[in-house]
Amino acid sequence: MTAFRKDIDRRTSMKWMASMAATVLSASAGTYETLAADAYGEESSTWPALTLKRITGPGYGTDPDLVSPKTPWPLTLSTEEKLLLTRLSDLICPEDSGGPSASHVGVVSVIDEWVSAPYRSQQNDRMLVIPGLQWVNEEAQRRSGRSFLDSSNKQQEAILDAIAYADKGFGEELKMPKRFFSKLRQLVFGAYFSSPEGMKDIGYMGNVPIEGPWPGPTREALEHLNTVLENLGYKPEPIPLVQE
Amino acid sequence: MAELNGFEYDVVVVGSGAGGGMAAYTLTKEGLRVLMLEAGRDYDPIEETPMFQTNAEAPLRGTSNKDKNFGYYDATVDGGWQVPGEPYTMAEGTKFMLWRARMLGGRTNHWGRLVPRFGPYDFKPKTRDGYGEDWPIDYDEIEPWYDKTDHLIGVCGDNPGVDNIPDVTEGVMQPAPEPRVMEILLKKACESLDIPVVKMRRAVMTEDKGDGRSPCFWATNCGRGCSIGAAFQTTTSLIPFAKATGRLKVVTDAMVKWVHTGEAGQANAVTYVDRQTGKDVKLKAPRVVLAPSATETARILLNSKSKKYPNGLANSSGQVGRNLMDSTGAGVSGHVPAMQGRPRYNEDGHTGNHYYVPWWGYQDQAKGKLNFPRGYHFEFGGRFSEPNIWTGGGVDGYGKKAKQAVRDKYGSSIGFSLRGEMVPNENCYCEIDSEVKDKWGIPVLKFHWKWAESEIKQVEHGLKWGEKIIKAMGGVVTSPKRTGEEAILAGGQIIHEVGTTRMGDDPKTSVTNKHGQTWDVDNLFVMDGGVFVSSPHQNCTITIMALAMKNATWMSKQIKRGVL
Repeated sequence: MTAFRKDIDRRTSMKWMASMAATVLSASAGTYETLAADAYGEESSTWPALTLKRITGPGYGTDPDLVSPKTPWPLTLSTEEKLLLTRLSDLICPEDSGGPSASHVGVVSVIDEWVSAPYRSQQNDRMLVIPGLQWVNEEAQRRSGRSFLDSSNKQQEAILDAIAYADKGFGEELKMPKRFFSKLRQLVFGAYFSSPEGMKDIGYMGNVPIEGPWPGPTREALEHLNTVLENLGYKPEPIPLVQE
Repeated sequence: MAELNGFEYDVVVVGSGAGGGMAAYTLTKEGLRVLMLEAGRDYDPIEETPMFQTNAEAPLRGTSNKDKNFGYYDATVDGGWQVPGEPYTMAEGTKFMLWRARMLGGRTNHWGRLVPRFGPYDFKPKTRDGYGEDWPIDYDEIEPWYDKTDHLIGVCGDNPGVDNIPDVTEGVMQPAPEPRVMEILLKKACESLDIPVVKMRRAVMTEDKGDGRSPCFWATNCGRGCSIGAAFQTTTSLIPFAKATGRLKVVTDAMVKWVHTGEAGQANAVTYVDRQTGKDVKLKAPRVVLAPSATETARILLNSKSKKYPNGLANSSGQVGRNLMDSTGAGVSGHVPAMQGRPRYNEDGHTGNHYYVPWWGYQDQAKGKLNFPRGYHFEFGGRFSEPNIWTGGGVDGYGKKAKQAVRDKYGSSIGFSLRGEMVPNENCYCEIDSEVKDKWGIPVLKFHWKWAESEIKQVEHGLKWGEKIIKAMGGVVTSPKRTGEEAILAGGQIIHEVGTTRMGDDPKTSVTNKHGQTWDVDNLFVMDGGVFVSSPHQNCTITIMALAMKNATWMSKQIKRGVL
């Protein structure tokens, strides 16, 4: 069974809501698991009880080629998961005047590589991301009877609004979805801003060889620093008249 | 004179890092012929260093994992906190971390290149405060060797005129880079607290020395190694310089396990495991210099048991493996809101600290004002570094606002790494594990470790002052409140392990004399951090090298005089 659950239709979902239903599908075993009613209330969907197998196997080893890096492990996300990640990534990191959207710079592939990596930390993240994607869909089904991707922008944003803010939604049932979102956001922004386009966006200007002495801070950077220094009651820094 | 495949040699040097590299360089320059044995594989920094590769090109955006503990691009080969098939063990209740590298040049290929000298106080700690032991040498005796070493390897820095930071002779050091914006703010804040902030001395060349290496071009992290030779490592300097004399032969994948002795008790051979074939190879050794790292030296000596030396070689004092020290370590971090969205410029610099905070409490300690005996320094981080997978951490929400928040926060975080001195104590040592062997069949080390109250109190002082400095910078502290015991890092974690074969004036309480010559075996020397008597907060590598140069020079004189 894939992580996606297209078989849950709107009517089923409505029925669950109406009856405060106590059943969810266990994706791994394909069986119905009974849960207490208070764990599946009107507040939100229950965190999917998936039994995911950790990806193990060799990584790149202790002596990989540093000059021409390669990723040896296979990618594992399904097309549905990647489509959903594409939308979520762009909701998290949309195109704006500073730079393109996350998906535009290949963030989804980076996340696929990440959650497919045979390392403990990445597999811990996989245990959040895969059920998290399923939760997002189930929550969309619960709210509107449609998958997340089939939901309206407003409906999609409403779901993210419930899990994207540290000071909102303290309910126990949102603990895991919020952890998932926090991890996903970190991966999306990390992958975006470390991409060539993202580095340009954030203004990283290093990694270029410079001949002669290090040029030091620019006039503009020093002027800004001086306002900070003055506000703290410190003597401003003299600004060199000529800078290379 | 012994011979291997037509190469005749006077001395076997075990190890090719800071100590072994300098020993081999010095001996060959003195006209002696050296066979160097390195446990790791051959390594060519010119071909193998990723100089401009970005995180985006590396698996997992270059982030660290069990295969590459310091990230994908870190130079360390076949090593890190664990070496597959080559374990170490720990006594119950001990947490100790041992960093190893299995490559030519060892850990000099990726180290931080911080080269503060030990000061006059540091060689006479017992005289100063009653703890530990004094060194058998003083600052004046080693000063010319520091000068020669600094000049040879290429060091940038200046003379700040601060207590216990000795002035370097004019003309020895190269100019160090100006501070970055955050480092200027750090200096102003610390001045308001009456704490010094000075330029960091680093083994990074900033001017051409005409020896084939190039000066720093202010890009790519030194931890990757340096293909242009600006950031010092033995594989771009001491080893090729020594090879150029025609008197050095290097054998890699040669993991030494025993030093053999003859009837008179002199060293006369070594056995190494050829890591390619797994087979033992025994070589004649007219004289032996051990420099495979403090802990590995202890391991070889303790494993080299014989009828004459039942407790291990050069161990009549029982001190081999004892007095193990590391630097104390702890971190404090913060965020400076006023620095959010600050104007961008290229802040790579030499990719290390341009400024740092040296220990400022010597006089207070002399007056008995502090409740711990030894000092620490703060290394400082806060710059526009290359974005990585963690760059988006710590923002709330999503969408354009969150994206802008990541941009704003970039370059506004600061971090302090405390690195302090520990006093040797009887609970910190290594010995041979009686049961566990590595995949080569060599008995492994078992570590014992317990921080003493003096180190915990020192760290508590550091946590308090780190927070004070962050606040004086207009920042907010982001690291959690911790006790000293919670904050102090594990033994070995700072990778400054020293002291296992300490030098001294008394054969009963030390393993070598002040020349690194073992008391028990005339033709056996130790030239790594094992000979340290104390472990000042100043990073250890430059002193390992200065001592190796000094002691290898003395050794060669003895050989030439025919007494060795």
